[in-house]
Amino acid sequence: MPLLRNNEIIENDPWTFFDDEQELHSDWDYAIVTAARFLQLASDGEQLPDGVRVAPDDDVHLLKPYISQLKLICISFPVYTDGRGYSHARLVRQRFGYKGELRAVGDIREDHISFMQRSGINAFDCISMPDLTLLKQLITRFEHTYQPSYPLSKLG
Amino acid sequence: MYHYTEHDKAFVQARVDEFSDQVARYEQGKLDEDEFKQLRLRNGLYYQRHAYMLRVAIPYGVLSADQLHQLGHIADTYDKGYGHFTTRQNIQYNWPELQDVPKILQDLADVDMHAIQTSGNCIRNTTTDPLAGAVADEIEDPRPWCELIRQWSTLHPEFNWLPRKFKIAVTGSKNDRAAVQVHDIGLRLVKNENDETGFEVLVGGGLGRTPHIGSVINSFLPSADLLTYLNAILRVYNQYGRRDNLYKARIKILVNAMGIGAFKDAVETEWANSKHEDDSFTTEQIDALKAQFPSAPAIDDVAITEPREIHSNPLFNQWYQSNTREHRDPGRRIVFVSLKSADAPAGDATGAQMQAVAKIAAQYSESEIRTTHEQNLVLPHVKISQLYELWRALGKQKLATANIGKLSDMIVCPGLDFCSLANAGTHTIYDQINTRFDDIDYQHELGDISIKISGCMNACGHHHVGDIGILGVEKGGVEWYQLTLGGHAGNKAAIGKRLGKAIPKEGVADAIEKILATFIEYRSEEENFNTTFERIGVEPFKEHVYAIAA
Repeated sequence: MPLLRNNEIIENDPWTFFDDEQELHSDWDYAIVTAARFLQLASDGEQLPDGVRVAPDDDVHLLKPYISQLKLICISFPVYTDGRGYSHARLVRQRFGYKGELRAVGDIREDHISFMQRSGINAFDCISMPDLTLLKQLITRFEHTYQPSYPLSKLG
Repeated sequence: MYHYTEHDKAFVQARVDEFSDQVARYEQGKLDEDEFKQLRLRNGLYYQRHAYMLRVAIPYGVLSADQLHQLGHIADTYDKGYGHFTTRQNIQYNWPELQDVPKILQDLADVDMHAIQTSGNCIRNTTTDPLAGAVADEIEDPRPWCELIRQWSTLHPEFNWLPRKFKIAVTGSKNDRAAVQVHDIGLRLVKNENDETGFEVLVGGGLGRTPHIGSVINSFLPSADLLTYLNAILRVYNQYGRRDNLYKARIKILVNAMGIGAFKDAVETEWANSKHEDDSFTTEQIDALKAQFPSAPAIDDVAITEPREIHSNPLFNQWYQSNTREHRDPGRRIVFVSLKSADAPAGDATGAQMQAVAKIAAQYSESEIRTTHEQNLVLPHVKISQLYELWRALGKQKLATANIGKLSDMIVCPGLDFCSLANAGTHTIYDQINTRFDDIDYQHELGDISIKISGCMNACGHHHVGDIGILGVEKGGVEWYQLTLGGHAGNKAAIGKRLGKAIPKEGVADAIEKILATFIEYRSEEENFNTTFERIGVEPFKEHVYAIAA
């Protein structure tokens, strides 16, 4: 899946997602696990990976104590019409003060990226190669919005 | 009324441009059918039984004469010469071509209008009392608050993909004419013991398949906290509302499942943090909005308290009694323009009628028009001395039927003829009732009574809250009608009680005739249907309607 970050296509993304059945490598640096597994590892006192993936029905508040040690948080949108990820992203960025990469994964399409950015997401694992000219137009179309605390991206 | 700023104008223009591009990309095959559907829905564009249908937002039901004129122009230019006013105070066009829709949106933008969020699982047009700013019984004019909510909810990035559609209604009056108890969120302007203004907040009301009366989540929310509190409710709903079943996704189901106590705790917990983070507004901002809704200029000649022609012209008098209401300025009246004549479907107006009403409003009503959830229009500020002239002008357009609040002032959803969700026709029932009870004097004898007709259980015709509710159902390919009695949408909101087994299509007017005969038999003097029903219950009606002929 093509990865877009700060409006650039990123080649060679080092991160790997491990589903709950997969054994974790000894190389912990670029592993992403589900929030459920992450919290289980935490409660077991195990070493924690740097990346976590939040599903729509996860309680994102449970990740709050670990925010400062995480290097990648993925917000999953299994279908683009499921808007729970927007609230998760808003909380992670605004409430928990997360400063690292916040990545939308799943059914990610150009016309929705602007709202995702305004909710705090800054990287997008798109379903297909995004049209950057179109994307720039979509992101910069509205010069004024009605929700100042959800600022327009400066990245466009 | 509210006038667009440069920001508002640029915003709506950007939305038109965005949608024009999306239509072009769809036609080039660069947007798939399903995604285009979601994008067009958020611009009010449905695909119905025969064609596209465009629903245009009329924010909180307020129109200027210029805007209504333009709506008439759109009906004549891009549609079949008419439009349909809806139960959410909006207007729908049933026959636009897809390639014309960007042009229609441009025509709307030219008069500061749009179709944003008139469909889709997002925050819909906020509705209010159609008599706002004109009645004496108001604590405060709700329209500036509605405009504040309109702006906050417009393309809100977090709440564009909710579990289901979301409707907010506001009333500024103790007499609820906005049906706040049957909305996802209902807001009632109230004063506390220190004479400060705030909101009583209700949540989880709604009609549809599982009707619910809203529960009070906050009995006094300081008005300064309105937006952050709404934001907190929406966030809890967005995160926890059901998404596995379309019919269980409204907030009423969540509130009911959690219980109002637990739901309130969840909102208050969220709000304790979020009130410092989310968008709010300053006193200056709300004051600037309030300044945009000034009172109609006072009439100096207070000697005229009623038009003299009511004594010489009985028809005019009948219209005056049923279609006008007291204005807070004793020199003015509020006038209802009935869109319920036997000649056209309920809520329909032709382009020519819209433009005529626009002209009449410019001349007689401070250039202002309101739409009502009962699918009529209101001219809110008419001088008593000009009522007779106005009545004659409306009569020329067939818009002076003296039936406001009466039996033929029915609420009717589009039904099987236009809507892909419907199971049964509604216009034929409307016609059947109009034909049977065409005597307007008889209607006036009956007093105020509401008939509300929905073509399916989604209840767009609000049948649950009609004195007589009529729900179309389909059984084995045949249309049947389920009747309910005693529903109410105002202060004493109540869900109607089922009368009995469904009635065949051709028997609806007969059944209503029996219901009315029962009412007349049992009513005490001056009682209206609602009061009699409360007193005697459903049984006498049931016995009469289902009695086997001897």
